[in-house]
Amino acid sequence: MPPFSGTLPSSAGLNPKRPEPSIVTLNVGGQLFQTTRQTLSLAGPKSLLSSLPSYSSSSSPPSEIPFVDRDPELFSLLLSLLRNGRLPSSSSAFDLDDLLAEACFYGLDPDLLLSPLSDPSLFDPFALHRSLALPLPGRDPPSAISAAPSGSLLVAHGSKITAFDPTLRRRATALTRFPAVDSLLALSPSLAAAGATDFPGLHLLDLSHAGSVAHALHWSPLPATTATSSPAASGATVQAIGASPDLLFGSFESCRRNASAILAFDRNTFEPVAEIGRREIYGAELDSAIPATKLSWIHGFNLLMAAGSHGGPSGLSGNIRLWDVRSGEAVWDLKEKSDCFADITVSDSLSAMFKVGVNSGEVFMVDLRKLSAEEPWVCLGDARKAATGRKEGSGCRIESHGRQVFCSRGGEVEMWTEVLMGPSTRSSEDGLNGERIMRRNMMGRAKDAGEKKITLLGFGGSRMVVARKDEQCVEVWESSARS
Amino acid sequence: MEERDPDPNSASQTNNGRIKLNVGGKLFETTRHTLRSGGLDSLLAALSDRAAEDGEPIFIDRDPEIFSVLLSLLRSDRLPSTARRFSKQDLVEEAQYYGIEARLRTAMAPPPLLGFDAALATTIHPASDGFPTALSAGSGDGSVWIAHAGQISAYDWSLAHAGTVRTHLDQITSLRHVWPEIAGIGSLDSPGLHFYDVTSGRHVGSAHWSDPSDPRVYKAWVTAIADAAGAESSGEPVFAAFECPHRENCILAVDRATLKITGEIGRQSGSAAKAAAAGKLVHVRERGVVFAAAVSVGAFGYSGYMRLWDPRSGEAVWETSEPGGAGRSTRFGDAFADADADVDTEGQRAPAIYKVCWKTGDVGVADMRMLGEDPWVYLEERNPGLRNAGGGLNSVLHCYKGQVFVSREGGLEVWSRIEDEEEEDGGISGRRYRRNFVDSEDDARRGLVKRMQGGGDRLFVSREGMEGIEVWESTDLSGAISLL
Repeated sequence: MPPFSGTLPSSAGLNPKRPEPSIVTLNVGGQLFQTTRQTLSLAGPKSLLSSLPSYSSSSSPPSEIPFVDRDPELFSLLLSLLRNGRLPSSSSAFDLDDLLAEACFYGLDPDLLLSPLSDPSLFDPFALHRSLALPLPGRDPPSAISAAPSGSLLVAHGSKITAFDPTLRRRATALTRFPAVDSLLALSPSLAAAGATDFPGLHLLDLSHAGSVAHALHWSPLPATTATSSPAASGATVQAIGASPDLLFGSFESCRRNASAILAFDRNTFEPVAEIGRREIYGAELDSAIPATKLSWIHGFNLLMAAGSHGGPSGLSGNIRLWDVRSGEAVWDLKEKSDCFADITVSDSLSAMFKVGVNSGEVFMVDLRKLSAEEPWVCLGDARKAATGRKEGSGCRIESHGRQVFCSRGGEVEMWTEVLMGPSTRSSEDGLNGERIMRRNMMGRAKDAGEKKITLLGFGGSRMVVARKDEQCVEVWESSARS
Repeated sequence: MEERDPDPNSASQTNNGRIKLNVGGKLFETTRHTLRSGGLDSLLAALSDRAAEDGEPIFIDRDPEIFSVLLSLLRSDRLPSTARRFSKQDLVEEAQYYGIEARLRTAMAPPPLLGFDAALATTIHPASDGFPTALSAGSGDGSVWIAHAGQISAYDWSLAHAGTVRTHLDQITSLRHVWPEIAGIGSLDSPGLHFYDVTSGRHVGSAHWSDPSDPRVYKAWVTAIADAAGAESSGEPVFAAFECPHRENCILAVDRATLKITGEIGRQSGSAAKAAAAGKLVHVRERGVVFAAAVSVGAFGYSGYMRLWDPRSGEAVWETSEPGGAGRSTRFGDAFADADADVDTEGQRAPAIYKVCWKTGDVGVADMRMLGEDPWVYLEERNPGLRNAGGGLNSVLHCYKGQVFVSREGGLEVWSRIEDEEEEDGGISGRRYRRNFVDSEDDARRGLVKRMQGGGDRLFVSREGMEGIEVWESTDLSGAISLL
């Protein structure tokens, strides 16, 4: 071995200007391993492996070979991961849990193991299919889903929040103070924001400590000087939660339901930063203080989308506003009267907003680059259906992830994809007229049809998560490539 | 973990601690520290002392596959997934051979029991006469004794059958741990309180109620033996309720060491429901009182009493009897269907009494430090999805680890306390509890819950007309089901 040690290509092969490869010999649990310093350095600077002393294997006495008192089989898998960037097929004998615990011991970045589960770039919408059902304890059906970018999944059901780890093999359930959780957002692997429409306050729950309340955020519609007691007593409830990379937004409604506002909090200190869009009901104009029931941050435009609706004598009506958080001004305000949204979403990568009309049940789109006040919605389906007056869109959910928009329709999910056309194909003969072209297809296989109505839809990492009516579980859709 | 720092200076030092093992032909290398971590009196620790002299691996004639699992357990304090290839029994036997059973027990123990996150883990079936008549959970390690007809079956921490004892009684209706190995048993069909050694299967003693001044006190049977968590080695007496054929009854204190009667409290005529023999006894050791409750059900609903007896004075220090009577609740006509005392051996919570009302099904709680005329605080249901969960007819209530388990029909619900920073005095408020169902609707169809008993991190449930007992545990596994 020593005569070739200078000329052998490194198995890591990543750095062409690498120094002389030095072979490292290791004794793990009685089994000898040989690898190069380059391979071990991929484990990261904090790793135990990158600090091992190197010996030219044959000359050093065996007593000086570094010894690690761990399982050799698990180490051989992790070494393969470092060498090839992926786990060998023999790793299927072990759970990912074992490998994660072992990686933790060696100080390896757990993302090396978890990235195939959570990397959003691996999200393949055309290869998604129903793969897992995750049962939930108790009898409360799921009321909110939030999938963290890290791949972990939070499900609220009744007064509890169940957190599934990125491998979806382990879970922990925490009891909240809310009688029933209505809004939920995962902020980090161990921190979640939760709120309820019948219990005051926005709670930040520490999921690594059995869901204990790390912060309770309150809003009082009264000025601080006139408020006689603590803000908790005034009892503003939370209607929606949203987040930008540095702010956390909560849509609050006062307990007497006559005032509402959106509060922005700092995501590190959880101090209130701004109060925007404060509305109060004066007289008979009830529509003036509809609280936002959906908050989405539009990163590409630095705007916050806030949408709320309520049932009135003339059917559902609502409003959609785009807020500039820094100035506190609404840059766009749309009243929804005729075919109000049943659900609404924003897609950053498509620069568009999508809604399902409650009457028509059809999907509509607004291009965020061409906002106008006069009937901005472009119907993607059959525009004539709104006239029937039936509430076909009631209960439909719409969410965007990546470059797709997903809309639940009864027990099925339809997926809208933008078809990118070259400039030469855009001719008036096709009837395309330079409009953006969105096309739909139903997801899943024939045998998936006829399932119960979908009540919740969520996306995180490379997965889609679905909850159905009266089912005490959530359903996970994954790409087939990895199953 | 000293092996985290393998710098060359300490290499010779760690080398001395290194040990080579040859288990069934396969070579392993580990450290003395790892081998000793299973306990200093284990076989592995003994081998680790011998190893230093020669460089040859120590040969152990056992299966290398199971050894590698157990070695992983010693190294990393967790069972690897390869342990699934072996049955629980294989692992336990092998761990016993190496003397590291305690480590395996910790690694295999279920996570802390959370009622709102518990699921049916397994069902234990005694081989014959499988309808349980009494349960007693052991010293907090998750073991359980089941009385079924005249037999007592013992199951250890891994729920493996540890043995069955045939007693001279034909129908055991009361069963409690008196010592870790000694069971106290009683039957409504045959007189006396009897003690059996469950490991050897021998009868070790009996206690009978007698009164030289009253010849009618004769052939009294046992209606209940007190539940006294952690009292086995405390030297405090065992309390048991006795009843004579003419319904006169009392509670007797029996010395744990001599198994002889040392005192008598709470003698009652038994002529009315509020003086009947207690069907439930709990020794609340930190308050120095014995909680006794009796419930009877008739055409007009439930009636019964709860009393706290002071064993030193022999007086009842507090009582409530329903319907009517002292300390009755404001909810007249809604008598309790079952009650239990919540005893916290660690002293974290105030001791309290919980009851379930038979008509409304409401759960009430009384703080044992502030008992009075009407101490009941009713727990509020605030989850709109769980209103009208059912009345309290045939409900069974069991307090365990600060959680209140209540059966409704066949269903099982749990009330859990939430911590609340706005609370001012640590008093009991009905708003601090959240109700959740433990089971699913399918679980509830298996039959009416008859008995519940918490032990270790497990809840044992027996149902009417069902052989065997159910074991409920919390789990951290997601139990994902493949839909492919």
